[in-house]
Amino acid sequence: MKKKSQLALLIAALFPASVLAKTIQGTVVNTQGSAIRNAVIELEGSDIKVTTDKNGHFVIAKLNNGLKELHIVAPGYAHLHRDITIDTDETRSVSFTLQRSPIEVIDIEATPIHMSAMESASPVSVLSGEQLRRDQAATLGDTLEKLPGVNTNFHGKVASTPIIRGLSGPRVLITQNGLDVSDVSRVGPDHSVASEASTAQQIEVLRGPATLFYGSGAIGGVVNIVDNRVPTDSTTRGEWNVEHNSVDNQKVASFNATTGTDSFAFYADAFWREANDYEVPVAADIDSDGESHSGDYTVENSNEESDGFTVGASYLMDNGFIGLAVEQFNRQYGIPGHSHGDESEHSDEESVFADLEQTKVQLLGEYNLNNKWLNKVNLRAGHTDYEHAEIEGGAVGTTFKNETNELRIDLLHNQFSEWNGGFSFHYKNSDVEAQGEEAFTPPSETESFAVALIEERHFGDFLVQLGGRIERVELNASNVLLPSIDAHAHNEIDIHDDHNHEEETNFTRVFDAEHEFTPVSLSAGVVWDFTPNYNLGLSVSRSERAPSASELLSFGPHIGTATYEVGALFDLDEDGHLGLSEQTIDLETANNIDLTFRKTQGDIGFIFNAFYNQVDNYYYQINTGLYAESGHNHDEDEHNHDDEDEHSEELPVYLFKTDDVILHGFEAQIAWQLTDEFKLDLFSDYVRARLKDGGDLPRTPPLRFGTEFSYQTEKFSAHIHVTRYQDQDRTAPEETATDGYTLIDASVSYDLSILNQDLSLYLKGTNLTDTEARVHSSFLKEIAPRPGRSFALGIRGYF
Amino acid sequence: MTKLFKLKLIALAVSSTLITACGDAETNIVEKDPIAVVDDEHESDDEHDDGYTISSFGRLAVLAGDSNEASFFDLDDNALLDTFVLNDDSNTLSASPDFRYAVIANRTQDYLGFIDGGMWREDHGAHLHDYEQSPVFSSYELTSGSRPTHLITHDGQLAIFYDGDADSGASASVEVLTDNDITNATATLTGINYDINMHGVAEPRGEHLLSTIRRDDASSTSNAKVLPDQVGVYHLHDGNYELEQTLEVTCPDLHGAAQNHDYVVFGCGDGVLIAHQQGDVYNAKKVVNINAVGAQRIGTLYGHKNNDTIFGIAAGHDGSDSVLLSIHPENAEMEEVEWQLADGASAVSYSFSASGEHFLVLDSLGFLNVLTGHDHDGEMHWELAGQVDITQADVTTMPEGMSFSMTVAQNGQFAYIADPIAQHILQVHLEDLEVEGELELTFPPAAITWLGIAQEEHAHEH
Repeated sequence: MKKKSQLALLIAALFPASVLAKTIQGTVVNTQGSAIRNAVIELEGSDIKVTTDKNGHFVIAKLNNGLKELHIVAPGYAHLHRDITIDTDETRSVSFTLQRSPIEVIDIEATPIHMSAMESASPVSVLSGEQLRRDQAATLGDTLEKLPGVNTNFHGKVASTPIIRGLSGPRVLITQNGLDVSDVSRVGPDHSVASEASTAQQIEVLRGPATLFYGSGAIGGVVNIVDNRVPTDSTTRGEWNVEHNSVDNQKVASFNATTGTDSFAFYADAFWREANDYEVPVAADIDSDGESHSGDYTVENSNEESDGFTVGASYLMDNGFIGLAVEQFNRQYGIPGHSHGDESEHSDEESVFADLEQTKVQLLGEYNLNNKWLNKVNLRAGHTDYEHAEIEGGAVGTTFKNETNELRIDLLHNQFSEWNGGFSFHYKNSDVEAQGEEAFTPPSETESFAVALIEERHFGDFLVQLGGRIERVELNASNVLLPSIDAHAHNEIDIHDDHNHEEETNFTRVFDAEHEFTPVSLSAGVVWDFTPNYNLGLSVSRSERAPSASELLSFGPHIGTATYEVGALFDLDEDGHLGLSEQTIDLETANNIDLTFRKTQGDIGFIFNAFYNQVDNYYYQINTGLYAESGHNHDEDEHNHDDEDEHSEELPVYLFKTDDVILHGFEAQIAWQLTDEFKLDLFSDYVRARLKDGGDLPRTPPLRFGTEFSYQTEKFSAHIHVTRYQDQDRTAPEETATDGYTLIDASVSYDLSILNQDLSLYLKGTNLTDTEARVHSSFLKEIAPRPGRSFALGIRGYF
Repeated sequence: MTKLFKLKLIALAVSSTLITACGDAETNIVEKDPIAVVDDEHESDDEHDDGYTISSFGRLAVLAGDSNEASFFDLDDNALLDTFVLNDDSNTLSASPDFRYAVIANRTQDYLGFIDGGMWREDHGAHLHDYEQSPVFSSYELTSGSRPTHLITHDGQLAIFYDGDADSGASASVEVLTDNDITNATATLTGINYDINMHGVAEPRGEHLLSTIRRDDASSTSNAKVLPDQVGVYHLHDGNYELEQTLEVTCPDLHGAAQNHDYVVFGCGDGVLIAHQQGDVYNAKKVVNINAVGAQRIGTLYGHKNNDTIFGIAAGHDGSDSVLLSIHPENAEMEEVEWQLADGASAVSYSFSASGEHFLVLDSLGFLNVLTGHDHDGEMHWELAGQVDITQADVTTMPEGMSFSMTVAQNGQFAYIADPIAQHILQVHLEDLEVEGELELTFPPAAITWLGIAQEEHAHEH
């Protein structure tokens, strides 16, 4: 340690020499004793972060006396946590030895306290780097579906949201840099998520209740998409990618770049994607009677076109940064199956497509204070303006809008009797409306304000994480409509001829509905490093969720799910008419227990999670057995109202009810580094979602298991990925079972350096056996299977 | 299973310990007035009724002459639907391009507001879907332009010409909007921003916009320099109108414009400028004033997309001694119409009927003069088909500053005429030339406009 590294000099130069402060310096090595470069040493509860040089050296200066918690992170290695007490020594010299971890450990940014797959009480996963680039798809659910515990609700490749442990929609929150992505993807499966994976840096998934950090909408989990749009440093770097995919003739191009000066940093990204209808190995419709077919089978109207860009800038200070970013996101996609009656002779039936547009402004900042109480303030503010129009035959059918303003402030305190943590304040206001024929939910405004306290502390071999959050949610809708629809059963013969055509005028009842909810969430977790290299985590939580506007106020045809949706505000009376519900509207409450057992380092690493989640007052839809007019008529040529009418213009009425539900299951991940080059990964997950009083919930993903075999050298890498989806025969009453299938993917990539740029050429094959794969958790499983065999060829560059 | 059972026990334990911290939910529902929905089968014996369209006379918006109120009436039962108080006095009233909204313009207040008449049609692809709701004041308003003066609608578009103001240094501008823009409260409309004020006019034609250009005073051929003397063809590209062509024929002291399917005509001091659309290019011609114009000039023009004739009115500044001229753009001809106003009468309102078959002139003596065109050897001549006397009262008792006014229904052969003396509105059938209905008012009407669902062309065949 006699020779000071350049980095140390650099760091020393940053601090005024007059300050009499203590220094920690040292080396980071691996188990063979070789230096690890680019390892990051973080001082917990502060913003101090240094990186080792090529000799594995680091220096942290300007420290005062006391206990210092250091966190050492290096890619490919297990994170190391060390407490160092500084008292009289001017300079402490230390040496850290990192153990290999075959499971990549990446800290998440979604939470104010430190969490990672290996270290936190509740389960998280992160998709980043090469793996993110390998898995990235046009839609978010499809991008994340290889993560344990995460499935996609695959909507014909044009839209998808992640299903976390069997929960999705209003229960899984999607955020961009910690702020609500603010689209309408939670309302219908055909609504795309307004976020892009190809320009993201990492995507984080919090499995299980995360209401503590994100409030009501996160009772099933959170997906946080992280990018560098508000740059936190000005190091010039960037990435670009072009790719062509054969199954849908998809062309993708994207880039992101960061640069700047000492005090200003700038960021830009952009992407463009165009895809045709995708090919499938069999006829798309499961009921197709094998009629002769020329050419390839495709899923009609599954084409897509999207583009977007983001620009951001920030001001870098010694103690933090503040910056602003603006994003424009556009997407046009066909909605497969968005039609009625399956008359195949209507091949030129006009297609329905969605035209989505969003403008997102984010203001992010971080400031480290030298205050007696506070050491850091995090600020996140966002404004988004979202609109998507569903266009049918050239005319706008329905327009959905969402305007959201959001503000989060985290105040992190100085270590207080060894507790790290802080308060979080969160305000959000969303104005959501739909206009047109599919406007099944009336315009509503949701405003929420929350305060949360999150703390963690190490007690010897134990890490304790505690949190509580109280939230106030106001949901106001001034024009909730209750039309007098003629909902009727189909088994009553001749009722069809008996419409009361004499009455000339019907009345739509109108209500002004105001809801006020106060959900409270509490969570406690402990991680016990009971023996070296292993830990055991337990997390218990009780989370409450305020129901969403669509669950309460809906009344109308929802073409995306082909149902007539009626919210929980309404109910059927004894005569079978729909009126206001007598039931009180209550919060949904999840009591969740998570058990985690991990091997954190060595040539074999694993993570086993088991969870048991009892959700009381779970909002879900039941089939009333009644039918209502869709108000959406496609066959105008044939107006012979004969009795052969197959009710094709009618939709089944689904009513939101509440019931107690139990979800339990597991996720398992094992990684085995066979040699320096070869690695084997195994994974499996399962969820059982059932009603407490018997019966299963619909669209629950089946048992899955799979393996990935990788070969990686400095220049060359190859991966073979096999996933088996089992049959799903635990179905809800109106649902059919789905056959299992096995997907085989493979990829190779070769890195080369040209003109001072690192390039990576890759070839990726998906569904290599060209198997028919229908996704049980998809609303379109009967008409849109997964894409057939496809080869993607691409090139990626880094600078 | 034992593991599961244990987990269950722990879950129970957790939930019971935390139950005291349980949250709270409160719901408050107030029922409001219901909305009447016309039943699918409502008195429609059309052969092509698919249950989504409404058969209705439509609605009338009426500005009061003695207060700043706008009232909306249902023409099926003459019921008053609602009354709205407007911000200021001396508004003008017109209909939005698709007749859903009443457009309230106030030139001096730089204000345009919109009241939803409550009846509109949506094209749902496979069928047309009609809506009938209560009138409601839209929160959408346009206040950024200076001196909104000429509002011209054509084929689903409204072009607002803002004159600007030399005193305050505000420049002229144009905004183009559709009913959808009003519905969606479009924040930024497409249009033109000039760098000088002018008393101009803009004619919207789909992706084209023909709008006037004021040159610097030295180059301008206008006598009154605030009047433009050139016409530009603007083309919509990526949401912006770009000047693609400046018509080479000048039009000194340009005032007034009208268009039909192929031609746009502008009134000039020395005649009329005719612009003929050929694809994206317009050819310009000047037709000089004929003798009948005399010392006047043509400053007001009327056109209908289904009629080849454009009417021009040559008049002095006060509207006296006006001469009605028919202009035939395809022949580049101008002709004095045989029928002219009777002595002592002045025109208070002109309009084509909805089908374009009739040209209506309402005069100050209380006569609605209905002209129809007849083809003589390939030339269209306009003759008086008849007159409807709409008042028995002494027209000199007309309240100060008021006059008869007229609007044309777009779903049939009716015109509605407001009479401030009798305080009523008459429904006149334009084929039968008879008064067929009366709507009593409790105030003198200053202006009226028809709102509702316009009928597609060729709907009325005889």
